Amino acid sequence: MAILEVKNIAKSFDGNQVLKDISFNVEQGQVVAIIGPSGSGKSTLLRCINQLEKADGGEICVDGTRMFYTDSERNKVVYASKQELRDIRLKIGLVFQNFNLFPHFNVMHNITEAPVHVLKKSKEDAEKQAMELLEKMGLTGKEKAYPCELSGGQQQRVSIARALALKPQILFFDEPTSALDPELTGEILKVIKELAKEKMTMVIVTHEMAFARDVANHVIFMDEGYIVEEGSPDELFGNTQNDRTKQFLARFKD
Amino acid sequence: MDWEAIKKVTGILFDYLPNTLKLFTITLLFSIPVGMLVTMLKKCRFKPVAWLTNLYILIMRGTPLMLQIIAIYYAVPMLKANFASGSDGFFASFVNSIDTRSDSYMFTALCVAFVLNYAAYFAEIFRGGVDSIPKGQYEAASMLGMTKMQTFIRIILPQVTKRVVPATANEVITLVKDTSLANVIAYAEITMKAKQQMNTYSSIIPLFIAGLFYFVLNAIVTVIFSLIEKKFNYYK
Repeated sequence: MAILEVKNIAKSFDGNQVLKDISFNVEQGQVVAIIGPSGSGKSTLLRCINQLEKADGGEICVDGTRMFYTDSERNKVVYASKQELRDIRLKIGLVFQNFNLFPHFNVMHNITEAPVHVLKKSKEDAEKQAMELLEKMGLTGKEKAYPCELSGGQQQRVSIARALALKPQILFFDEPTSALDPELTGEILKVIKELAKEKMTMVIVTHEMAFARDVANHVIFMDEGYIVEEGSPDELFGNTQNDRTKQFLARFKD
Repeated sequence: MDWEAIKKVTGILFDYLPNTLKLFTITLLFSIPVGMLVTMLKKCRFKPVAWLTNLYILIMRGTPLMLQIIAIYYAVPMLKANFASGSDGFFASFVNSIDTRSDSYMFTALCVAFVLNYAAYFAEIFRGGVDSIPKGQYEAASMLGMTKMQTFIRIILPQVTKRVVPATANEVITLVKDTSLANVIAYAEITMKAKQQMNTYSSIIPLFIAGLFYFVLNAIVTVIFSLIEKKFNYYK
C-alpha cells in the first residue's frame, strides 16, 4: 500500500486555478522529485499535502489515514478530526525553502523544541538524539550557535535535523536549495543522498535537474496545474516522448 | 534666585517626586498588559469587536491626553449631578458612592486616563510587532505539531518582545514627561509644584529644576532600555 495517496487535488487562489487535477502515489522508501517550471503549482501541491493550504477538492491519505476527501454530493472538502490531522502532521516533516528556523533558539533548542514540547520526551533523550542528528548532518560543535551565525547551507541542514527529530515517515522538501549558492547546494544534496540510502521516504520539489536525476527513483513533471508525465529518471530524462517535457528539459542541457 | 532658594526649591520638588513616580509606575504597570489585551481584541475575528477596538484607539490617539484627563476627572461629578434627583439603578448608586473630593479619586481618575491612553499606543506597537513576524515561523511551528498556544508563547511572543523594545522605550520616555499633564487637575506632582515656586520667587528657575528632574529620570529610562536591548542582542 502506498504511504501517500494523492487523488484529484484541485486548488485555486482568487479564481486562478493553480492545481487542476493532481493524482499520484508515493511508496515506502521512494524518493520522488517533482520538477516543472515556476508557477506550475509544485509548491502549492506540497503545501496542500502538508496542511498549510486547504485544497478545494480531492483526497489525500497518509499511511492509511485519510486526511481529507471531497463529499461529491455537497461538493465540499471534508477534513479528518483534529486529532487525526495532528497524528498525520507528526508523520510528515517539511523542509522549507528559506529554512524558517527559530532565530531566538540556538541550534540545539531548535531541534529539541518539538520533541520536548510536542512529543513530551525528556530533555536528555531529546538532546542525545539531537547530537546524533547533528553528527549526521556534519554539524557537530554547532549546537550552541544561533541560526544567524550559520551559513545558509548549515541553516538548511539544521532545519532538516529539526524535521528528522520527530521521526517522520515522509519528509517533504520545498525547493531546499533555491536560497543557496551552488557550493552550499552540494552540502544539502549530500545529506539528502545519505537519507535516501537509509530508505527515508522523501518528496522533493526541486529545480536541480542533476539532483532529481541522481537521487530520485521517481520523477514527476508538472506544468500548469497538471502532472504532464511521471516515471523513472531514466524514462523522463533519457527518452521522454512528451513534447512539453522535452521542451522543459532542453533548457537544462548544456 | 540665590543658591539657598535653589536648594530649597529642589528639596520641595524632590518631596513631590514620589507623586510623579507613582503615576508613572501605575500607568506603566497597567497599560502594557491592557495594551496586549487591546491588541488581541483588535485581532478578534468577530468584526464588531475589532471595529470598536479601532474606534477606541482612534479616539485615544486622536485627542489630547490633557482633554482626556479633564473629561474623565469631571465625568463622575457631572454624572452625580445628573443622578442627584432620586434615580437609583446600580450604576447611579455606584456613581453616587464615589467621593469625588478625595485624593484617591483624583489619582484613580488620572490613572484611568493615562492607562486608557497609553494602552492604545502600546496596542499599536505590539500589533506592529506581531505583524512583523514572518508567516514562515507560524508554518514551521505548525509543521512541528505545536499548538496555537505553544506557537504564540514559545515562538512568536519572544521574537515580538525583542522587536518592540525600541518603540516601547520611546513610549516610556514620553510617559515620564506626560505625567506633567496631571497638573491640569491640580495633582501635586513636580510640574505643579514648580509652577507654584515660580510664582513664589518670580523666577523661571524652578521650571528649569523641574526639567532637570525629568531629564535625569529619562536618562535612567534610556540606560535601562539599552540594557534590555543588549540582552536581546544574542540573536538577529
